[in-house]
Amino acid sequence: MNSSIGDEGPEYQPLSADNVFDAAWEARARKALDVSGWDSGLAIAAARDALAVVAGDLSEDEFQARHHGAYLREFGVDLRPGGEGLSTPAADAPAGPAPLDPPAAAITGEDAAAGSTAPGRRDHAAVSRRTALGLAGGGIATVLVGDLIGFGAPGQAISVDDPTPAQDQGHAPAGEHTSSHRKVRMGMVMDLEKCDGCLMCVGACKQAYSLPDGVFWIYVLSFKEPDRPDDVNLLVRTCQHCVNAPCVKVCPTGARHRRDDGLVLTDYDVCFGCRYCQVACPYGVNYFGWDAPKKGAGFIGERKDERGKSVIGAPPRGVMGKCIFDPQRQDSPKHHGSTHCQMACPMGVIHFGDLNDPESEPNRYLRQRIADSGGKLSTFHLLDDLGTKPNVIYIGHQPSRHARPTDPPTRYEDWGMVDERRTVLEGPEPWFKRVFSR
Amino acid sequence: MTSEQRTEAILRPLAHRPSRRYYIVLALALLGLLWYAQAWAFQLEHGMVVLGIGDWGSGGGIPWGLYVGSFIWWVGIAHGGIIVSAAVRLFNLSTYKPVARIAELLTLIALSVAALYIVIHLGRPDRVVTSMLPAWPTTIRTSPLAWDVTVITLYFVLTATYLALTIRADISAVRSRLPRQLGPLYSLLLIGYTPEEHEKVERMAWWLALAVIILAPLFLHGGVIPWLFALLPGQPAWFGAAQGPQFLTIALSSALGSVIIVAYIFRRVYGWEDLLPDNVFSGLSRWLALFALLFLWLQLQKIITGISIAPESIYGATKSTIEEPLYWLAVGMVAAALAWFGLQMLNPSLFTVERTVAAATLPVIATLIEKFLFVIEGLMHPVFSLYRGVPGYYTPSWIELSSVIGAFSLVTLFFLVVSRVIPLIEVEVSHHEP
Ligand code: SF4
Repeated sequence: MNSSIGDEGPEYQPLSADNVFDAAWEARARKALDVSGWDSGLAIAAARDALAVVAGDLSEDEFQARHHGAYLREFGVDLRPGGEGLSTPAADAPAGPAPLDPPAAAITGEDAAAGSTAPGRRDHAAVSRRTALGLAGGGIATVLVGDLIGFGAPGQAISVDDPTPAQDQGHAPAGEHTSSHRKVRMGMVMDLEKCDGCLMCVGACKQAYSLPDGVFWIYVLSFKEPDRPDDVNLLVRTCQHCVNAPCVKVCPTGARHRRDDGLVLTDYDVCFGCRYCQVACPYGVNYFGWDAPKKGAGFIGERKDERGKSVIGAPPRGVMGKCIFDPQRQDSPKHHGSTHCQMACPMGVIHFGDLNDPESEPNRYLRQRIADSGGKLSTFHLLDDLGTKPNVIYIGHQPSRHARPTDPPTRYEDWGMVDERRTVLEGPEPWFKRVFSR
Repeated sequence: MTSEQRTEAILRPLAHRPSRRYYIVLALALLGLLWYAQAWAFQLEHGMVVLGIGDWGSGGGIPWGLYVGSFIWWVGIAHGGIIVSAAVRLFNLSTYKPVARIAELLTLIALSVAALYIVIHLGRPDRVVTSMLPAWPTTIRTSPLAWDVTVITLYFVLTATYLALTIRADISAVRSRLPRQLGPLYSLLLIGYTPEEHEKVERMAWWLALAVIILAPLFLHGGVIPWLFALLPGQPAWFGAAQGPQFLTIALSSALGSVIIVAYIFRRVYGWEDLLPDNVFSGLSRWLALFALLFLWLQLQKIITGISIAPESIYGATKSTIEEPLYWLAVGMVAAALAWFGLQMLNPSLFTVERTVAAATLPVIATLIEKFLFVIEGLMHPVFSLYRGVPGYYTPSWIELSSVIGAFSLVTLFFLVVSRVIPLIEVEVSHHEP
């Protein structure tokens, strides 16, 4: 039942640079990347190369080599395993299984490097590449798992400091900001006007946390408005990590809680699975652990965040899970201010960072967009009137009360994903049925 | 009926060896329990995936189902039961005194069933104590579920104390005629008993009854139980201030109906026509008629406000309620009972205890249906209109359905056992009567 997208066998549509990254995509990507100030040529080339690896036209080693070189030039970062640079912080040492295999380490490392140079604007390229890898290759699926079991695995070195916005401002990274003079509030600016519904973010998230079939911590809804029947609108729904979160309020065990940096998380060691959070959340972002993962498909990375609470990965059986805004990344000085979905999005839709910091990437992006639009930008919070104070700010068309779901540009099935979880929630047959059918 | 004849009648279940019929019912109850036990074991072994519930939202499921619906139904019966008993004591409704203890016992077992429903509903029932207790000081501030568990526990303690206090005089009075094998139990119940305590116990019981009569309707079944749902703005079918009164009328209807049914069964089996005379049943049915009327009236309020010029989300939820045939079945059953009780009042010659009991059964079943629909409909029509593309659907699995059998079996077993341990009707009264 694992939905790692590469596992789907025959139904899986082979990817190729021709059918995915067509001219239209390239135009859109270039536009998005240009806004971000990133080297769009490199991004697009890297994305194509990634697909070539998947298609088998390019070996992983070759890919590595090209990739390293390009990124080194762009960022001045040496990513070669065992190369010079900072040593791995103890907190980041892997607690999970086997050390990363070389390609995984390299890719993870690059990612980190990209992030360290310019969080937010960096990862479009790195990510379309890694997502494509994740989405396509079962063999390369270890990439993201490697990412989770420990940043900075042994033998991997990063040679730059991590000037995340928080640190630029003199803040300690998330989790250590007790002494900071301003509360950190991690959140997203989601530019729906840029979204093309490719579901890359969805795939990256599922891959990263080994989410079972039909579980979507990030989910893209397509809808139409009755007055404009020809327009397909998209809404990227994550957990809204509300300031005034109903799920936190109703939880009878305190398992659902809000971390100091604003992340709303579930302590998997405490939750007893009453599902009250699930019925209380107006956004429908919770996905329960109805079943134990199938053998070999479960989440194997480090579960604990820096406070030692088990909050990471697909929830174990019997407890609740949902989008977590990657606490392990926020705990890490190198990755702070980034999420898997954000890095995976080739269109630059997702902007993640500290919303309380006026100079954070999402805030700067929002200001820029407002300025560019001549002050006529449509922004909204989802179901604002319910008083939840969400931490996701949307740019784009707000679904009206009359909005109705419609066919999406890319269907979940196109990526071999199961859309409606209910269709795959089947338990084993009861013994008496087996007895009688004999 | 002399005092001695009366005592003899009350002690009948305790004095005689069980009949064959008793053993058959006992075996059936045990079988029913066993059946659910294996069903629950299956659920524990394979996870909650074996139930009919699923994720709300993109998952197209309903996370709360028959377990939660049954939970609130049983809690309702428990609350109504003790309200009857407390009212008898506070307002001196001596007519109903004979059913007071049956109502109290019903409360105890119904509360236990409700608590068990919470446990089987959990994904990790092994954590129920370890997860809730340490967090309690914090969660009690905001979580309706923490309120529920707290108030239900308090309530259980109150009811059990009440029963234990009021039963002492009885047991002491007829001690010599009670089954000898249970001697240690009676000694335990009678610890420190003196005949002079009677007055003090009466006063304590009165205060307990007062606490119950304030607590149960205002804060329990008109309070924390409906607030479990009524405080959630994301589910328009649940949200709103009307849930309190609505829950209360439902609880009282189902509780009065159940008291009538249980009392009738004992009357039939033990020939208690004199102890539980007709006027007890006609009187209880009149109260039931009142609450059935209030039930229907509040349903009317809900529908009228929900479909006239309501906001879209409320309109949608109400519309689907009134399009649901099961809903009309439930409302129709309550209305039929009300109509019958009305006719009976107008024309007393229509009254028989059997007909009253048959009519009283209707609201009991109807409220169970209503509770079930209430829970799942709330989740099917969220404010977030985009999820209307994946309307949740839910069919209870065989395990969930088995829980209903298990619950009724447990209640049956409880009464079978308890009727052979303590007098079900107060013996004590007989001493004060001429
Ligand atoms: S399912 Fe877990 S996290 Fe959610 S409310 Fe219940 S105990 Fe809290």
